[in-house]
Amino acid sequence: MAIGTALSEPPKIHIFPQSRYIDSVRWLPPISALDRLAVVAVFDSDSGTSSIETLSFTQNPENLTPQSQWDSPSRVSSLTTSQFNRKSLVAAATFAGSIHVLLIDAMEPSSFESELSVPEKALHEGSISCVDVMDSGVECVTVGEDGRVNLVSLGESELSCRRIYDSSGLVSFDSVKWASPSEFATGGYGFSLQWWDQRKPGGAVSQFKGDWGQRKSSGIVHSIDIHPSRKHTCLAGGSSGTVFAWDLRWPQQPLLLSGVRSGEATYSPCESEVWEVQYDPYVKTSNVGNVSSRILPTMICSEDGILAVFEQGEEPIEVLAEPCAINSFDIDRQYPSDVICSLEWESIAIVTRP
Amino acid sequence: MPGVAANSDERSLVPYSQELPQPVVHSLHHGLKPPIARLSISWSRGNTLRVSVLSPPSEEDVEVGGRVVEVRLSNGDGENSDAKWRRIAYGSVTPFAHLQSRRSSVSNLSNMSLIPSPYTIDWWEYVMEYSKDINSLLGSLDSGPDPVIDDPKMVLKKVEEPTSIKAAWELMEIFYADKQSQPWQLERLVDWLAEYDSLLSSTQPTVHSKLLDFQNELSSLQVIEDDPKYWDVLSSALAVGWIDIVVKMLRLHGSYQLHQLGNRETENGLVEAVAVLISKKPRMRPGVEDGKLGECFKAKPDFIKAWEKWRAQIMKLDSSRFWLQCNHHQTREGLKTMIQIMLGNVDNLCNETCHWIELFISHFLYVRPLTVGFESMYSLAQKCMQLKPMSGAHRLIEIILGILGENTEVVLAECSRAFGPWMVAHAIELLTTGSDQAESLLHEERYNLGGISIAELHRLVYAQVLSSHALTWQIAPIYLSSCMKQGMGLLEILLSKLPTEHNEMLLKNIEICRLYELDTVSSNIMKIAGVYHWKHGRKGCGVFWLQQARDEVRLTRIAQHLFDSVGKSISDESFKQWEGLIELLGSESKTTGGLDFLHKYRDFKKSLKQVRDGKTTDAAYQAVDSLISLMKNPSTPQRFWLPLLHDSLKLLNWPERPLLNVSQTDLLLNKLQELSMAKHRPDFTEADLPSEALSSVRLALASNLGHAILEES
Repeated sequence: MAIGTALSEPPKIHIFPQSRYIDSVRWLPPISALDRLAVVAVFDSDSGTSSIETLSFTQNPENLTPQSQWDSPSRVSSLTTSQFNRKSLVAAATFAGSIHVLLIDAMEPSSFESELSVPEKALHEGSISCVDVMDSGVECVTVGEDGRVNLVSLGESELSCRRIYDSSGLVSFDSVKWASPSEFATGGYGFSLQWWDQRKPGGAVSQFKGDWGQRKSSGIVHSIDIHPSRKHTCLAGGSSGTVFAWDLRWPQQPLLLSGVRSGEATYSPCESEVWEVQYDPYVKTSNVGNVSSRILPTMICSEDGILAVFEQGEEPIEVLAEPCAINSFDIDRQYPSDVICSLEWESIAIVTRP
Repeated sequence: MPGVAANSDERSLVPYSQELPQPVVHSLHHGLKPPIARLSISWSRGNTLRVSVLSPPSEEDVEVGGRVVEVRLSNGDGENSDAKWRRIAYGSVTPFAHLQSRRSSVSNLSNMSLIPSPYTIDWWEYVMEYSKDINSLLGSLDSGPDPVIDDPKMVLKKVEEPTSIKAAWELMEIFYADKQSQPWQLERLVDWLAEYDSLLSSTQPTVHSKLLDFQNELSSLQVIEDDPKYWDVLSSALAVGWIDIVVKMLRLHGSYQLHQLGNRETENGLVEAVAVLISKKPRMRPGVEDGKLGECFKAKPDFIKAWEKWRAQIMKLDSSRFWLQCNHHQTREGLKTMIQIMLGNVDNLCNETCHWIELFISHFLYVRPLTVGFESMYSLAQKCMQLKPMSGAHRLIEIILGILGENTEVVLAECSRAFGPWMVAHAIELLTTGSDQAESLLHEERYNLGGISIAELHRLVYAQVLSSHALTWQIAPIYLSSCMKQGMGLLEILLSKLPTEHNEMLLKNIEICRLYELDTVSSNIMKIAGVYHWKHGRKGCGVFWLQQARDEVRLTRIAQHLFDSVGKSISDESFKQWEGLIELLGSESKTTGGLDFLHKYRDFKKSLKQVRDGKTTDAAYQAVDSLISLMKNPSTPQRFWLPLLHDSLKLLNWPERPLLNVSQTDLLLNKLQELSMAKHRPDFTEADLPSEALSSVRLALASNLGHAILEES
C-alpha cells in the first residue's frame, strides 16, 4: 500500500478511548469556536444497551465531555444531523427498523429537547440501512435491505411516513442522500446507484450499474455524497477501496477515483471497504481552471484504518492511519479543518488540520 | 452445581469459588411462579452463564413453561474492568504484531547469513521497545504537572494508584529484557519498590503505609522531632532508599527554624550533615531524574571508590565529638540509627523494614551493593524471608520468587493465575529473551500438548478469550496467525462460525479472510450469507452474495424459483419490478448460473416494447436479434420457448418484409419441433397461453419462412 504525499504540517490527532463501541459520529453546530458539540451513537457491549449521546469537545487541553444521553431501544445503524427551526436535529435509524428524531438546543446541550419516533416494522422489514435528512430538516428518507424507500416527514408533534418504493427484496439499498428537496440518490449492491425524483413516482428515474468490464468481484455502495453546487454528480464509496463519481449527464461513464479496474491498477490508498465518503471543503482545489468538470476534493474512511483526501488527478493525502478500522467520520461544516472519527477499538479520534 | 435458595419470590444462585474470599451473589429475575422443576446451566459467550429455568409440566394453562436468563459474571479482577482489559488488548496488538514481524525478518536474515540464533543481532533492543509500549498501556504513573508552590509538608507525592499488573510487567522487564541496564539492575529494583511498595500488602504495614499514616498526622504536629514516629518513618524510608523523601523530611526538623537556629546550632549541624551525606549517596546508575538526589556512577570501579569514601565519611561523622553536645535526645538517637542504616547494620535494617522485599532491597542499598546473578539474589531472598516471614501468598511475591529461582514455569503459572491469559501471551516474549534455556522450554514442541509449544498454547488460549467477545474477535487473527501449528486452523473455524446477519460484521469478516488469503472460508461465508438473505426475502442480497461466492449450484436452483415468478408476469408490466435485480445479475453468464437468461430476456422485452410503441424497423430487427440469441442460449428454459415466440408474433408477421432469414426461421421451427416432442415427457409444464398459441406461432413461422425464401432467392 503506497501512501501519497504527506501534509506539509502534520495534523493534530487526539484519540479519546470511550470503553464503548461507537457506531457513528457527527458534528453538531458548535456552541463557540472553542466549544464544539458532537453527537455519537454508542453501543455498550457490557450491558447490551445503545444510546445517542452529545459530547462537547474543548481545546487546550483537549477534552471530550459527555453532555446528554438518550437511550435507544436498539442499536443505531445510521445517524445524521441537520438544522430545524434554529435547533440541531439528529435523526437515527436502528437495526430493529425504528426511526428516532431528536432536537437539541445549542444553548442547552445538556439535554435533548424532544424525541419523535416511528416504531419498528412500520417502515422497513428488518433493519434500516441508512437515513438522510434534508437540509431544512423537514423530511427524512430511509432505505433498507428489504428494498423499500420511505419518506418520513417531521411534523409538530409527530412523524408521518410515506412509502415511495418497494422492490419486495429484489433490490437492497445500503445508502441514501438528498440532492434537492425533490431528488435523492440511493446506492446498493453491485455498486449500483439509483436517482429518484419525487415528481416522477413509480421507480428510479435513472440507474447505474457499476459494471466495470471484467472485474473479478463486485461490491456494495456504502455511502453517497452530493455537493449542493453540483447536484448532477453523485460521489459514491464502497467495497474494495472503490470511490467513484456518477454524473447524471453522462450516466454510463462513471469516473473511478479509487479502486481496482480490471488489468490497470488505479491509485488507491486502501483496499478494503470504504465506509464513508464526504466532499472535503477544507482542501482548496489546486487547479482552478476548468473547475466544473473536476470532482471536488473528497475525504474517505476505510476498514483498513485510513482517513484520506482525494483530489482528481493527484495522489491521495493520508490524514490518519490507524491500526484498526475507521467506521465513520464527519467534517465540521463551520470549521472544516476539524474531522471527528469513530474507531473500531472503542474510541473517538479528533483530527485538527493545520 | 449451586442449588436454589428457597427465597420468597427471588431465586439466588451462588457461584462457588475457592479463590474468592467472599462469594458473589447474582440475583436472577426470571419471573416464573414457583415451584421450579429444573435448572440447567451452561456457558454462553465470554463470561456469561446461561441459566435455563423450567416450570414443571402441568395441565393447567400456564403462560410460560420456562425462561432462559443470562448472568454476566465479573472477570474476577478487581483491578481492571472488562473495558480496561479491552483497552489493553487493543493497545497491545500493534506492539505484538510489530515484534512478530521483526522476529520473522530477523530469522530470515540469520537464515541467510547462517547465524545460528536471532539474538546475535541485539534482539533484546526490539523486545525492550515492545516491553515499553506494553508497559505504557498498563497505566501511567504520571502525577500530572508538579504543583507550582511546593508544599514542604507534602512528603508523599499523590500519584495514580499503581497496578499490580504494571508492577509485574516491570519486574519481568528488569530481569529479562532490559539488558542495557543490567549493571544497574539493583537501582532499578530500588525504583521499582519505590513505585509499587504500596501493593505488597493491603493488611500488613509497609514502609509506604507507615509514611502515609505519618503524612496524615504531619499537619497537626507542633514539634516534629519530639515524635518518635518521625524518626521511625525517617529510618524506614532511608532503609528502602527513598532518599529524596528522607532529606525533605529531615529539613522539617525544628532546628532549621530561624528563631531556634541560635541555641540549637550543633543539633542543626548534625541534622544537616546527615542530610548532606544521604543526598550524596553513591548510586550505580547512569543518572537520576532532574531534582532527584544521589551521585551517579556508571562504572563499577568509580562506584566502589565513591562508596568507600562515602562510608568513611559516615564513620567519621559517627565518631564525631559533636554528638555529645547534642542535647535533644530523640534527634541524637534518630540520627544515630540512620547512620547505622547507612553503614549497613543488618539489625537496624531488619527493624526498620516491614516486608521481606523491603529488607531484601535494603541489603542492595547498604550491605551488598554489588550483588549480581539470580543465585545470590535468591539465597538473599530466602534469608530475608526467614527474618520476616509473610502471611499468605501474594501474586507479585510469587512472581518475584519464580524469577529469582530461575523457574520459568513458576513465573508463567503465577502470571496466568494472577493476571490471566493476556499477561501470559505477552510476557512470554520477555521470558524468552536472551535465555536459551527459557527459549527452548517455551518453544519446544510437546507431544502432550498435541505437538504445539507452551508459547503457542498460551497464545491460542488468549486468542480464544478474544474470540469470545463481540468487540475483540477481530484482534484474535493477529495472535492466531502467529501460531505456526494450529493457528490457521483455528482462525478458519473462528471466521466460519461468526454470525453473518449484519452486513457490517460480514464485510469485516470477509476482509480478514482477504488479508489471510482464506478464499475458501470467505466463499463459504458468502454462501451462508447469500442463503440467509434469500430465505429472509431479500432476493437481491441473496443473489449478490451467491454470485460473489460463485456458487453455481445454488444460483441455478434460485434461477428455477425466479423463472416461476418471471414466468407468471411475462407479458405484463410488473416485470419492471425485476429490472433492478436483473441489473444486478449482469450479463456475464459464468457467474450467474442460468440467470443470464433474465438479462437477455430483459433486453428482448425492451426492444419489443419499442416496437409496440414506435413500429420502427430498426427496433424490430433488434428485437429479432434478442429473440434469436435467447432461443440459441442453452440456459433459456424450455418452458419459456413458446411464450417467447408467442410474444414475438408481431415480429414474425411483420407486414413490410420478413424480419427473420431462412436459417433463423429454421432454428425457431426446430425449437418448436423439439417442444412438441418434449410434450410427451412427464416433467413437461404447459405454458399458460391460449390454446391456439402453438398453431398461430407455427403459422406465422411458416409464412415468414415462405417470404424469406422468396426474398433470398
